[in-house]
Amino acid sequence: MSMIFDGEFETHRAPDELWTYFVDPDIVADCAPGMEEMNRISDSEYEATITVGVGSVKPTFSVDATVLEMEEPEMLVMKAEGSGGRKGAFEAVSRMEMSESEDGGTILQWEAEANVSGIIASLGQRALGSVAERLIGQFFDCMEGKVEQGVDATPRMAPKSDAEADLD
Amino acid sequence: MKSEPFVYHSPSSVEEVVSLMNEHDHAELVAGNQSLAIQMNNRLATPDHLIDLNGVDELAYVDERDGEIEIGAMTTHKTIANSDAIDRTVPILAEAAQQIAGPSVRNVGTLGGGIGEADPAGNYPTVLTALDATITITSESGDRDVGVDEFFIAYMMTEVGENEMITGATVPTDPFPIGRTGMSFLELKRVPHTWPKLSAAGIVRVDDPTRDDPTVEEARLTFANASDTPLRVEAAESAVEGTSLTDDALEEAAEIAMDSADPADEMQAEAEYKEEQVGIFTKRALREAYDRALDQ
Repeated sequence: MSMIFDGEFETHRAPDELWTYFVDPDIVADCAPGMEEMNRISDSEYEATITVGVGSVKPTFSVDATVLEMEEPEMLVMKAEGSGGRKGAFEAVSRMEMSESEDGGTILQWEAEANVSGIIASLGQRALGSVAERLIGQFFDCMEGKVEQGVDATPRMAPKSDAEADLD
Repeated sequence: MKSEPFVYHSPSSVEEVVSLMNEHDHAELVAGNQSLAIQMNNRLATPDHLIDLNGVDELAYVDERDGEIEIGAMTTHKTIANSDAIDRTVPILAEAAQQIAGPSVRNVGTLGGGIGEADPAGNYPTVLTALDATITITSESGDRDVGVDEFFIAYMMTEVGENEMITGATVPTDPFPIGRTGMSFLELKRVPHTWPKLSAAGIVRVDDPTRDDPTVEEARLTFANASDTPLRVEAAESAVEGTSLTDDALEEAAEIAMDSADPADEMQAEAEYKEEQVGIFTKRALREAYDRALDQ
């Protein structure tokens, strides 16, 4: 089942202030909802264990994430493939774009296209979309919190040279 | 299919439930078991531990106090539907319970289960939102009260965190003086014993029901399944407040409610159809609530 999620987020911080945080894998891992563990394979590739829940349905996914495109400080494209064992699997490409707002802050727009398979797909777009958009909202709130707290961030992600932003 | 194996626990007090939750990872609470079993048998839900709340008698109660009524999480739909205290003070809650599924579900299904499931089409979330109830969540560190407006976060997602449980709901009754308050709960449901495609809860309090064309002092209007969480339309409430529920005021409220709705497509009900019905149900629910406020 193919699904598209999207959303928008605004903050008074400028795009170049935010950028460093979004390309620091440790900070991203800290804010990602349900993140249990993350290992760096390279600056472009990460593997993670993530548990997310819709009610009493709480699959744990082994996720391989790849950074596909980076344009500082305005665009970040990533691909993620997750396997939740017998509960199903997903693959997704997400694109995040940041532009400066009139008052010097940032308008952040994101969109993700996902293929979901297995029994989790039976929850449907209505359930998965509602929860995904909420979780991504929590992620951005957490990232904004890190910026506000002035947590040290080190930009370490790099795009993978030969990767393509298509779903299989 | 059958569920994956799990360890069954049957505590008899809230204290015991809380300590079991803290003791075991991947534990799930089960109340009336009218939804969880389906997900477990489909192996969508695979808890390692099942904590059965049916032996926790202290959670099955209806407690009418001065200015509020509190209902325990393990109170069944049947008990709520038949409660004189609820019928007298907040009849809409009894009506909502009476319309859930069929008798076999109502005999065992519970208030806490319905709130915790947080299905956007659920009756309790919508009615409790209209009543501006407070949900009590209990954990090892004690109770915390969360307003319904903050409790429902997304589809089947609530404020209840890890190692927390719903213990009850409290409804303030002062805003609904008996004798000049009317309540209405309407479902769009073509087939009995199923989930409604849409529901509306309307509450109206008038100044003096014996006058000609009494004025609406306060109105409440909420919907189930018009969004991914219960939808309260305060601007539509304001549109009828201070009026004698004229056709113009109702029309305005209906327009506002339709604009606020963001329903999802379903196999038997497209989003556009549900949006249209939000307008119709706005008028019906408020009209019925107003008529009931006058007819006592």
